Amino acid sequence: MSATSTALRRKRAATAGFHLGAGALALLWLLPIALVLVTSLRSFDDIAANGLGSWPQSFTLDNFGQAWNDGGQQRALINSLLVTVPCVLVTLALAAMAAFSLSRYEMPFRRSLLLLMLGGNLLPPQILLIPVSKLSEQMGVFDTLPALIGVQIGFGVGFYVFVLHGFMRGIPAEIQQAAVVDGAGPWQIFWRIILPLTRPALAALSALSFTWIFNDLLWAITVLRSDTKMPITAALIGLQGQYVSMWNVIAAGSVIAAAPTVIVFLRFQRHFVAGLNLGAVK
Amino acid sequence: MTNHQTGRRRFLAGLGAAGTAALLSGCVTSTSSGKSSSKGAVTLQSNVSAPQAKAAMQDLVAAYGKKGSARASLNTVAAETFRTQLPTYLTSANPPDVYTWYPGSVADAYAKKDLLLDLGEVWSSSPDLKSYSKALNSLCTATSGKKVFVPATYYWWGMFYRKSNFAKWGVSEPKSWDDFLDLCDKLKSKGVDPIGLGAGGNTAWVASAWFDYLDIRINGAEYHRELLAGKHRFDDPEVRKVFDRWQEVLPYFDPNGDAVPFQDATTALLNGRTGMMLIGTFFADAAPKDALDDIDFFRFPVIDPKIPLAEEAPVDGYFASARTGRRDQVVDLMSYLATAESQEIYIKGSSGTVLPCNPKAKDAGTALVKKGRAHVEEAAEITQFFNRDSSDALQPTADTALTRFLAKPKEIGSILTGWQRDAEKIWNA
Repeated sequence: MSATSTALRRKRAATAGFHLGAGALALLWLLPIALVLVTSLRSFDDIAANGLGSWPQSFTLDNFGQAWNDGGQQRALINSLLVTVPCVLVTLALAAMAAFSLSRYEMPFRRSLLLLMLGGNLLPPQILLIPVSKLSEQMGVFDTLPALIGVQIGFGVGFYVFVLHGFMRGIPAEIQQAAVVDGAGPWQIFWRIILPLTRPALAALSALSFTWIFNDLLWAITVLRSDTKMPITAALIGLQGQYVSMWNVIAAGSVIAAAPTVIVFLRFQRHFVAGLNLGAVK
Repeated sequence: MTNHQTGRRRFLAGLGAAGTAALLSGCVTSTSSGKSSSKGAVTLQSNVSAPQAKAAMQDLVAAYGKKGSARASLNTVAAETFRTQLPTYLTSANPPDVYTWYPGSVADAYAKKDLLLDLGEVWSSSPDLKSYSKALNSLCTATSGKKVFVPATYYWWGMFYRKSNFAKWGVSEPKSWDDFLDLCDKLKSKGVDPIGLGAGGNTAWVASAWFDYLDIRINGAEYHRELLAGKHRFDDPEVRKVFDRWQEVLPYFDPNGDAVPFQDATTALLNGRTGMMLIGTFFADAAPKDALDDIDFFRFPVIDPKIPLAEEAPVDGYFASARTGRRDQVVDLMSYLATAESQEIYIKGSSGTVLPCNPKAKDAGTALVKKGRAHVEEAAEITQFFNRDSSDALQPTADTALTRFLAKPKEIGSILTGWQRDAEKIWNA
């Protein structure tokens, strides 16, 4: 009797401990985000007089307007979407086709091709900054959005091929054989059999690549120079002054810049987790 | 299976054709864009990214466009991005034409690499530039004797404090070094940290102001410039004297001084947690509007009256790329940027704590700015700032050395040896 009650008590204590611990951890995670949100609603005079860490004594929505109009975030957000959406579509289309041929057909050198793509991903992008900048200049596309799109596609496609290859390899060969018996060509097999079966992986990758490309700053400032062409990440650091930074406007700008990725995340939340598994298992 | 093969081949052939077409069209656009650079608006690459100052730059460019002789297009880049990308801009095949940057040794370093346009024509033709002070004149001349820079505005450094706080504590501005130590003692007895710093976070460079000032007060501006140019050593006894003085006041520094960035240090100063702060006028942008009238400053106390009085007053202005395809337009824009009108437009639109380089241009007219102007004019020698008098590459060596000194002042001997070793790597590079 007493044994069961102690066991019960212990179980309850463990549950309570788990919830308290997990809750505290979650709060710790949310604290910086909450700080940014609160800061974005304070006035500059309040922050300047009382410091960033003080309890807020003002409330204003002007910061968002200032970031959107004066900070040029409107233009930058359009640029970001102009780069991100085509990049995601083209990379995934190219990667799916490449992965299809590499995984479903006996291509010569397919192992070395895959290893090359994997190896490319292990290369730190920083060492390629100057070559990319000079190359885009010589090709006459420096400081244009297509240059940025091209760079993003070029650097993204290897990883996506690798992941999609792993996924497509797992699709049973019998399905394809049945399609061949029914007289389907490779294009038809790709379009009507393999691609629909790859949809979970594609959804996960599109969500991942959207956030990666949208949040990229390095390539943007490498191949772009005009402020009217800069994406949102570059516009965000543009809000910092030479000496003094208006933290309230920067916080508001960050909230604006984070909105699209948060929306994509909420929409594809399920696939995000699946996407992380994809990379881990294969 | 044959079906597969042809399908794939045809597909690959199609891809190849599309790729070639794209490459070809790329070549065509590249040649056309290369030639069009000699016409059109002059591009002004600006690192003035703070919202208010950026708007002032936009006003300036708009006013230039209205004059009708030519047009300029402003391209504002985040200050930090600009600093790291400037060498890339200048060496690129199709660079922006005009840049905001610093005169003196920083511009000279680029001039030595033949990256800057010779602005001798602007200096000889512009009536405005002829009236500029001699100091500015030599500041804008490269070692080769060419004029490479057009100055626009400058600001000054000083010991800033809040008038109402000084009145509350019953203290007044010190004149000599001993007065200054007395003042620190008094503030400390009232429970206030006398000297704020703000060399934490990403503003470690603020500490260099103390090094600069102590050096120009003890060893003079001439020695200071030579030291930064590598003609003296950081482990020399002269430099050691600077740090001996610094150690006299180190106990009065805000213990958080090397932990918080200068913007937070400004808040501490305004709230009366610290008494005063050696800082440039740009810090006023970090103050709430209602506190601006309450801010005042005094001269960094004189230590050795035999040394000619020197002050730090960094100049900002413009230089142009040697590879510009619009030389005539650049000359025209540069002449405009030297006029009183253009500098007044910028000062009116920005927070107004900078002073115009053109002697005929009006400043913002506040009491603080008037006092600042007199403050700089009394000085016999002007220095720029540590990084501007040396190079952006030498600044990190100072940051490392000074941060170590603030944390462990007793180890000054080894710190200076290390500083000299680091600096030699940069001077010899």
